[in-house]
Amino acid sequence: MRSLLRRYREPIYVAFLLALPFAIFAAKARKPMSLNPLDRVILALTAPMEKAIVGVVAGVQDGWYGYIALRHVREENLRLRRDLLHSHADTSSIAELKGENERLKRLLQYADRQSPTRLLVAEVIAVGASPHSHVLRIARGSADGVREGAPVIAPDGIVGQVTADITSSYAVVQLIVSPTSAIPAVSQRTRARSTVKGVGDVTRCKLEYALRTDDLQEGDLLLTAGGPGFFPKGLSIGRVVNVSKKPTGMFTAAEVVPAVNFSRLDEVMVVLDHFPIPTGSANASIGAPQ
Amino acid sequence: MRLRIVLVLLVCLGLSIVESTIPFLLHLKAARADLLLSVVLYLALHDEVVQGAALSLCAGYISDLTSAAPTCLYTVLAVLTFVVVRLAGSAIKTDGGVQSAAVAFAASLVHSSVAALLFHFVAPASEGLVLKLNPIFWSALGTAIAAPAVFSVLRRLDKALVPAEGTTLVR
Repeated sequence: MRSLLRRYREPIYVAFLLALPFAIFAAKARKPMSLNPLDRVILALTAPMEKAIVGVVAGVQDGWYGYIALRHVREENLRLRRDLLHSHADTSSIAELKGENERLKRLLQYADRQSPTRLLVAEVIAVGASPHSHVLRIARGSADGVREGAPVIAPDGIVGQVTADITSSYAVVQLIVSPTSAIPAVSQRTRARSTVKGVGDVTRCKLEYALRTDDLQEGDLLLTAGGPGFFPKGLSIGRVVNVSKKPTGMFTAAEVVPAVNFSRLDEVMVVLDHFPIPTGSANASIGAPQ
Repeated sequence: MRLRIVLVLLVCLGLSIVESTIPFLLHLKAARADLLLSVVLYLALHDEVVQGAALSLCAGYISDLTSAAPTCLYTVLAVLTFVVVRLAGSAIKTDGGVQSAAVAFAASLVHSSVAALLFHFVAPASEGLVLKLNPIFWSALGTAIAAPAVFSVLRRLDKALVPAEGTTLVR
């Protein structure tokens, strides 16, 4: 027996090395991740290096764009001044519309259930090491108030959610294009509801549960539908493309191009506090005499 | 031998940092190289079985840790890749260059497909398993381009250590 074990020592050892992680994968793959002390040590070692590398390269880029590549600044300055004048005109008309909207809201006793949110700006320092991962690492962690599941957004739209990989100074954000992501969505034009699901492609998501009877069209902008545990309501997710209406079945098949270009994110915002106000209290406060 | 193990692990950590920062700095969307897969391939083609399998497991673990992937997904894949390439080792003889790029390209295609299969086990899609060929191809291309450089780094490391430690590798 001992000689047999000695003879097949290598295959037994390799089989053990294969079986052990597979057993852990099978047992834990669908459960929430948690970091053990060794994980934390390795992340604490690698994350500052990633931050330093990105910082040095960004510094060089800033130097280049800030001092050397300034040839067309004058023309750009004039163009920006013209744009600013247009923006001022737009702003005044927006202010008028906003006032009108407020008055109409009061008239209809419309309750905007969206509570004010507290945002934390976070620097992106790296992406997931594997080409098949769809994550970003940000230089904010539990010490800054970042918690698992916190929504992460950018000026163009939603980015993803914070995973369980959080250290005191760093956190990992799972992008909405990840296959494990699914977001309740609402069409800006028709208010029809659906779900945007990641498929592992950074340029595309899949639209699920869009009713065939809904008027879904190419280019429709999808917004977050809100709800507890999800993104704040009304943020851009992306635009609908490749709509294919089948003659049978309940749902329309379509794809969604994310509003955010994930390969060009330098900074993101983490939503720290977002608690939708309960319907009753929201109505009560809006409806109260002022 | 211990020094080599430590150095290979440090190379893995360094490559994981490169993997995390370079695509971000270059704004790469698809053609992202799987550098740690190249390390596993090198180990499968050049290392002792026991040590190579253990180091592959460590490389997979680092990949898991920095990718927020389902627990042990890339660890399983790394050891599996080591075993498969090792079994096919007699047919694959490469010292780097174009040969290593070709091996890395093929291995990356299979690796990505199996990863998608295992991902489907964790997060099943409503219409069943659909392999997105475009990202898989570009990732394999990136891996193939980077593989000769990774092989070169590891070969230099081995050359520097063999006289010092008196160790003999398999090939």
